[in-house]
Amino acid sequence: MIERVAGLFNILRRRRGAAPIVPEKSVAGRTLLLMITIMSFLSAVTLGGVVLVQKSAIAWSADVGRELTIQIRPVEGEVMESNLRTAVSLAQTTPGVASARALTLEESQKLLEPWLGAGLDLAAIEVPRLVVVQLADPVDADIEGLTRNLAAIKGASLDTHAAWRQQLNTMAGTIVLSGLMVLALIGVATVLAIIFATRGAMATNREIVDVLHYIGASNRFIAGEFQGRFLSIGLQGGLIGAAAALLFFALIGAAAGNMLSSEAGAQMGVLFGRFALGVDGMIGILAVIPVIAALTAITSRMTVRRYLSETS
Amino acid sequence: MIEFSDVGLRYGNGPEILRDLTFSIEPGSFHFLTGPSGAGKTSLLRLLLLSLKPSRGKVTMFGEDVSDLSQDRLLQMRRHIGIVFQEFRLLDHLTTFENVALPLRVLGQPESEYRPNVTELLEWVGLGERMNALPSLLSGGEKQRAAIARAVIARPKVLLADEPTGNVDPELSSRLVHLFAELNRTLGTTIILATHELPLLDKFSYPRMLLSKGELVIHD
Repeated sequence: MIERVAGLFNILRRRRGAAPIVPEKSVAGRTLLLMITIMSFLSAVTLGGVVLVQKSAIAWSADVGRELTIQIRPVEGEVMESNLRTAVSLAQTTPGVASARALTLEESQKLLEPWLGAGLDLAAIEVPRLVVVQLADPVDADIEGLTRNLAAIKGASLDTHAAWRQQLNTMAGTIVLSGLMVLALIGVATVLAIIFATRGAMATNREIVDVLHYIGASNRFIAGEFQGRFLSIGLQGGLIGAAAALLFFALIGAAAGNMLSSEAGAQMGVLFGRFALGVDGMIGILAVIPVIAALTAITSRMTVRRYLSETS
Repeated sequence: MIEFSDVGLRYGNGPEILRDLTFSIEPGSFHFLTGPSGAGKTSLLRLLLLSLKPSRGKVTMFGEDVSDLSQDRLLQMRRHIGIVFQEFRLLDHLTTFENVALPLRVLGQPESEYRPNVTELLEWVGLGERMNALPSLLSGGEKQRAAIARAVIARPKVLLADEPTGNVDPELSSRLVHLFAELNRTLGTTIILATHELPLLDKFSYPRMLLSKGELVIHD
């Protein structure tokens, strides 16, 4: 496939005009093309992964941020049901709150099942009860006022999930930062590989460089000829790598949707949004193509100029 | 046009390859540069091509002292100088036409502009039928004629030739020198042709510059 795409580019080049001064086959073509394709694929997959994690983290954080939990611990002398009603009432009258409801005993039992086992009669034990509060607008909600008002209910406390959100954001931030560092390392490795390939190509084409110098070509002209070849290779590699990455995400998304059991698939969906990159993710991956091509062209041009100034 | 005054050349800290060269070349003239192998002919041609700077003395070309020229000015001056090598140095992946057109391409001329000139010159040097052939398919004589055409296509003021007849038989050597003579006569190009083939020197009555052990012993 790589050779077919390369062939198409070469045909387009030839149609444009005279034959290239730097022969196409002499610029470590296939090896460099394969290397740039792999680097582009890795960059695109890393970038896509970063986008997925970031989007999921934002979605998680937004979901969690819209919900508060009032916990009412059993206190001797207090009537739980009465306290629950008061807490619900206080929450419903707080500005910015969309709804509030107390979890029933059955719902509380289900929540405790993973720890205490099924079939437990909670009526026999005094367990804390919960009120789930949904916020209409997390920014404008008067959470401090609700906290103050809840102080009137003995054993009541408000959990805004702030610590959990903080941990979530820290974890997502760490993953995103790690992804960006991997991207930077891939970039450095690509630049180094292009430098070595360019210097190799210059040594291989020493005769051409000498002839061009003898007939009055400037270093700028010679660098431009080499840059043209490397730009073409960078474009081809970037295109193939980005296309492979898009295909990779499409396959992973399909696999997550179809191959996993419905429950596991649902959990994966909660974690990664069913691997949907979205328009911004796809744009990010497609942006790898011009970035890799420009990186290749600029690196090779600078390497050639340096090589020529060293040798002339 | 070209003036050398007490010019010496050494590579690094080695001995002087060229010593005390003093001579001048007039515009439109034709000179043979001769001498035994190792006499310094190629080094002198590299000085004339401005790819080397003298270790001492003064070289003036086209009215300018070349020792203080910027890289850009050197490049501009080099475009007034054509060069032909013994080993042709054609680019193997380009056709005869593309090889000859290379200096004009380097100058930024579009193909539509230079195609008639290149075609005319190729026909003039007898390569009209071989325009689209790659160098590997050309004979030694054809390669050298293509190299000469490439050297003169941009109308240089000076044409340097380093043993251009070294890889062809005596009859073809004579025909190639006739070609240089024709260029000198019709275009007025100043020609300095380095050779160590004595029969050629006897056959053509152009002035000779004889180098021996780095010194110019005859310049008539």
